[in-house]
Amino acid sequence: MKQNKDIRKIIGWILFLFAAGFFCLQLGYLFIHERFQVEYIDNRLFYIINILCVTCLGLAILLLLTLTKKWRWIGASVMVVFIVVNGVLLVTSNQEIKNITSLSPDFKHVLSIKENVKNGEAVYYRSYYGILARPKERLPYETDGEYNVEWLADDVAAVTYKAVDDTIQQFIGTYGDRGSGSSYYYVGAEIHGRWEGSDVSVVSNTEGISVTENGETELFEWENMEQFGTLAVVLKKNNEAVWTISLNENFKVHSAASEPTVGNISLYKATMEENQPITLHYKTLN
Amino acid sequence: MRNVILGVAGAMMIGLTIGIFFYQSQDQITLPELNQPNEMQENTNPSNELEQPYAQPLQPVNNDTISYTLQNDELNITYNKGKDWVRVPVEKGQLFDGEYNGNKQELIAGSYILNENRAAFLYKQGRTFLIYSLDQGKTWQESVVTETFPPIRFRKVDFLNDQFGYVVLSGDRTMSQEFSTSFLTNDGGENWKETASPPTTRLLADGGFVDETTGFMSYGTINPEEPDVYVTQDGGNTWTEAVIPIPEKYDRIFVQAEFPVKEDDHLSVLVNQGPNGDYKGGNVKGKFISEDNGKTWEFSMEVQPNETK
Repeated sequence: MKQNKDIRKIIGWILFLFAAGFFCLQLGYLFIHERFQVEYIDNRLFYIINILCVTCLGLAILLLLTLTKKWRWIGASVMVVFIVVNGVLLVTSNQEIKNITSLSPDFKHVLSIKENVKNGEAVYYRSYYGILARPKERLPYETDGEYNVEWLADDVAAVTYKAVDDTIQQFIGTYGDRGSGSSYYYVGAEIHGRWEGSDVSVVSNTEGISVTENGETELFEWENMEQFGTLAVVLKKNNEAVWTISLNENFKVHSAASEPTVGNISLYKATMEENQPITLHYKTLN
Repeated sequence: MRNVILGVAGAMMIGLTIGIFFYQSQDQITLPELNQPNEMQENTNPSNELEQPYAQPLQPVNNDTISYTLQNDELNITYNKGKDWVRVPVEKGQLFDGEYNGNKQELIAGSYILNENRAAFLYKQGRTFLIYSLDQGKTWQESVVTETFPPIRFRKVDFLNDQFGYVVLSGDRTMSQEFSTSFLTNDGGENWKETASPPTTRLLADGGFVDETTGFMSYGTINPEEPDVYVTQDGGNTWTEAVIPIPEKYDRIFVQAEFPVKEDDHLSVLVNQGPNGDYKGGNVKGKFISEDNGKTWEFSMEVQPNETK
């Protein structure tokens, strides 16, 4: 009995500390939001942390103190009201600013896009310390609210979305580098040569990048490509994204062109339907 | 203990509730480079770890109410000290086409007009153009000043009234010889007509018209020894050398004529000491008067630099 009581006390205090921790986090956030111009990576996090904080606090009090029935009811009601209010705010805030958040397969990066539902303006955020983020750039096209996020590598996230003019667009969030990390390079030039996968092949040469799928070849000239970071290019036709080519984690960028090409690339189709990136292997130089 | 826990819990609840109000009233952080979407491959961030430099907020080049800026490789003009901006549809590089050595932070003096009634900018893209707006940048017109002109060195545009204006250009410099000429418009800048050129190939120092028929071109920019001014009194059809006798005392001191101005019933011109003058500090100028519309000039007095403007 005595032991039970001790465990209750310990758990109670731990929960109380958690509640205090969450509380400090929220206060800290409100302070640094203005000061350092950062936001939570997902606007809903604020309400979720509020709910967590109150839940921990409620449980801590329950475990640490013995309350009369009357006070238990009052405490429980206050908690329920607080949680419901936060829940409602959580839902309504996401209807104003829609958050698109996606965690990378290796849990190291977070892709964050916040869309102003009213005007269709979507802004790409870069994450700091996992839960904070700063606006980086606006997606070039107004969106109609639908997004498909697919991680092509641990540090490459492809966001496929439909613009208001009904075109399919792709935005690539990149969080790494395949070279030394100190210099810029062109993805199109680095993948020079012929690449093959199941049923598809990609050729990058002086004219551009051509993609052959089911026997049909489509050439994308150099001016119809948009590179993101140093990891991916989006191939476009008629101002619409068609394919994304990204460098896999095992791809090595050499500054000397004479060294053999090492690694794989991924080809990902720009479509709103569910589809998987295709891994391609390097074949020949031509 | 009990009271401490309850007190802290109560304080936290109140804090969180106030926090919600704060959070609700907070604005979304504005995107610093909102106006610069990443469109070109060249514009993408060279390294993912580094933040791109933010586009600078536009700052006028001076404190005038009507001003401009060349930031972000664009020409923007303002009529209210930088509160609102109008972008001039011209590429920055074209404004400096030809012989120009500078940092392109400010427009070439004389190559533009910017006032309440008229904004006009000379630029060259193959042909030489004047782009102008008479409604403070709402609409822009373009006119061809000349179809062919060698690489421009000196450029100047001005309007004397709504209709009459001139452009003076020089170019094709080899060593210290070049070609210089002027163009006139009588319809507010729509059509331009080239005048004859003065019979000299010295380097042009300044030029222009004081009325619709009388114009001047002043020559000699490198070690001039005496003012060398050509005058026309028939709208640029013929040019004759103006006579500016320098008093012996000022021989080889006042050497470069500036642009003449109308004063009451006569013309006056300031003759400065050129780039190497050192008489009384080098900034004193000689004022000359002409009673016959610019053909002959007479020395009037020395002018201190602060009186010259």
